[in-house]
Order: sequence, then C-alpha cells, then structure tokens
Amino acid sequence: MSKKIFILISFVLVNIVLHAQVKAGERLVFAGSYEVSGLMTNIAQLTMSTSSMQTAKNNYLHLRLEMATFNKWDSYFKIRDIYESYANPTSLKPSLYKRSIFEGGYSKTEKYTFQPDGTTVKSVVKRGNRPEKQNSFKIGAATIDVVTLIYKLRTTNFAAMKPGSAVSFVLVFDEKQHPVSVKYIGKETVQAGNLGKKECYKLAIVANTNKLKGKDKNLIYLTADAKKVPALIKFSIPVGVGQLTLTSASGI
Amino acid sequence: MNRFLIILSLVFGVLGVVLTILPFGTLALIPIALAFIFALITVFRQREKLFPKLVLVIVFANFLTVIGKEVFVKDVVEVDEQFETIKQQSEQDAQKDLEGLE
Repeated sequence: MSKKIFILISFVLVNIVLHAQVKAGERLVFAGSYEVSGLMTNIAQLTMSTSSMQTAKNNYLHLRLEMATFNKWDSYFKIRDIYESYANPTSLKPSLYKRSIFEGGYSKTEKYTFQPDGTTVKSVVKRGNRPEKQNSFKIGAATIDVVTLIYKLRTTNFAAMKPGSAVSFVLVFDEKQHPVSVKYIGKETVQAGNLGKKECYKLAIVANTNKLKGKDKNLIYLTADAKKVPALIKFSIPVGVGQLTLTSASGI
Repeated sequence: MNRFLIILSLVFGVLGVVLTILPFGTLALIPIALAFIFALITVFRQREKLFPKLVLVIVFANFLTVIGKEVFVKDVVEVDEQFETIKQQSEQDAQKDLEGLE
C-alpha cells in the first residue's frame, strides 16, 4: 500500500516538475531583429503569452505567439502574425492550431483541428482573396504543432541529456507532417532581458526542410533553470539571418 | 581627382540621408562613414574650398541624427485596433471549434 502511495506521489511530483514551466498568465516579449549588411536592425516585436480557456466540458491552455512590426516599419512592410494553439494543460497535446498572417499585404489563415480519434487533422486554409480550402489528413499520435513544440521544449529535461544528444518531434505545418529534432549543444550564458544574464541550454533545431538553413544555425537558448524561459532565438532562413532577444518576462 | 572624391562623398552622403530617413537604424552609418572619409580627404587636399567643408558638416550632422535616433527614439508597436479585434474574434471562434470537438 505504502509503495503504491509512494509511486502515486512520485508521479504527481514528476508531473509538477515537468509541467511547472507552462502555466497561464505568462508573457514573454522579444525584440526581433534581422541582419542587414552585417548589422542587426530591429524589425518587430514577438509576444509569447499563455492563458486558460474554459469550454463547456474542458479546460485548455491557450498558447499564443504574436508578431507585429515596430511602428517605424509599418509604412514600409507591415507584419501582423498570430500563431496559436489550444492544448491540454497537462500533456500539452494540441486540440486546435490556428495561424493568421499578414505580411506586407499578403494574408493567409490556417486552422488545424486535431480530431478526438488522435490520428486525423482537419484543416481549413485561406490565402488572400482565394476561396477557402478544406482538407483532412492522417497524423501520428504524437504529432504536435509549431507553437506547442516551443512549450514542449520547456518541459524537456535537458539537465539529464549529454551534449550532442537530441529529442525528436513530429510537427504538422503547411498541411504536412515534418520530423524535427532538437539537439542539445551545451550550456552558454546569454542576456535574458529583465531576468539579467542567465546560463542557458543551447539547442539546435534540426529539420529536413528548405525553410531553415545551415547546420546549428537555428538555435534556441532556454534558461537552465526550472522555468526554461527562451532567452534568445537565432534563425537562419533562405532570405537571411535574424534573432529574437528576450526583452521582458512576466508571470513566469 | 578632387572632383571624383567630392562626388563619392556626395553619393554616399545622399545614401546616408536616405537610410537615415528609412528605418534601417545604424545601417546608415556605413555610407555616412564613407562620405565622411572622402569629404575629409577632399578638405585636406583643397583647404581653401568651402564646398568640401560644407559636405563634411552635413555628413557630421547626419551622423548625429542617426545616433540621436538610436539613443532617444524607442522601438514601439502601435496599438492596432484591427489586430486586437482579429485576436478577440479568433478566441471566440476557437471556443466554438473546441466545443464542437467535445
């Protein structure tokens, strides 16, 4: 009997430790900059926020990433993007993923509904003024969306990993499944906005896609503490390189 | 040679002004630095001429403008009512979609 209680308590504690990083009311603000002629130019602000959503039967964790250009850029190239996911607060299994982008006049909306059978996603995609396109496709049981991936990373125990080892995920993006692995490179100290200088887990995104370029050029730095706050994100895409620097973190 | 140098300083000076007006931040310092160097060489070669000195002063003023913008003008995101409405509408739609799944 006492063994069962011990196992139960251990299970609860492990879950608390694993998922303590993602809670409602968190707000992380990043300054997004892009390299132009070797100099980083501030372009946009990215905000990652979490909140709860209560429906008639369930409670969901609403994970939202929104990006908006700084007002000095709005006249030249206005960006207003929203990426959001509604996931189970404990397992972070997504039920709904939505994407709404407006980039310099180009607009696109996507909605992926993860069906209760766990193996099907129904998608609705709309590009600009074109008619809406509906689709349905099969996914694996562990397939997640790109927003959930960021938060899933924050529940991964990198302290137990050796540099060079990786964790694998399957992402659904652009109506396809993409295998993605995240390689733990090591620890590095970086500036983390209002949190000051923090020792971070340095992680590289490895994906077989033409959207990301270079080896170990797409990096995420998560603070090496219980919160695992993303402090710095570096990306290398076909049109250049840039980075997202944490400026403020609240509600963590 | 002097005419070539002053033309170069003018070209880079104009490019510096354009990049200062556009929101490229410190990127404008590259043409400004080149314009300054060419104007300075011209001033040393033609000490009696006023025009190279004038170009040098304008380029320096441009440099101060870029630094001033970097130091005093903060990057802010404008409150966008339309964007806020889209976010609210998206949340309402999501609630309906999630309830439809249950």
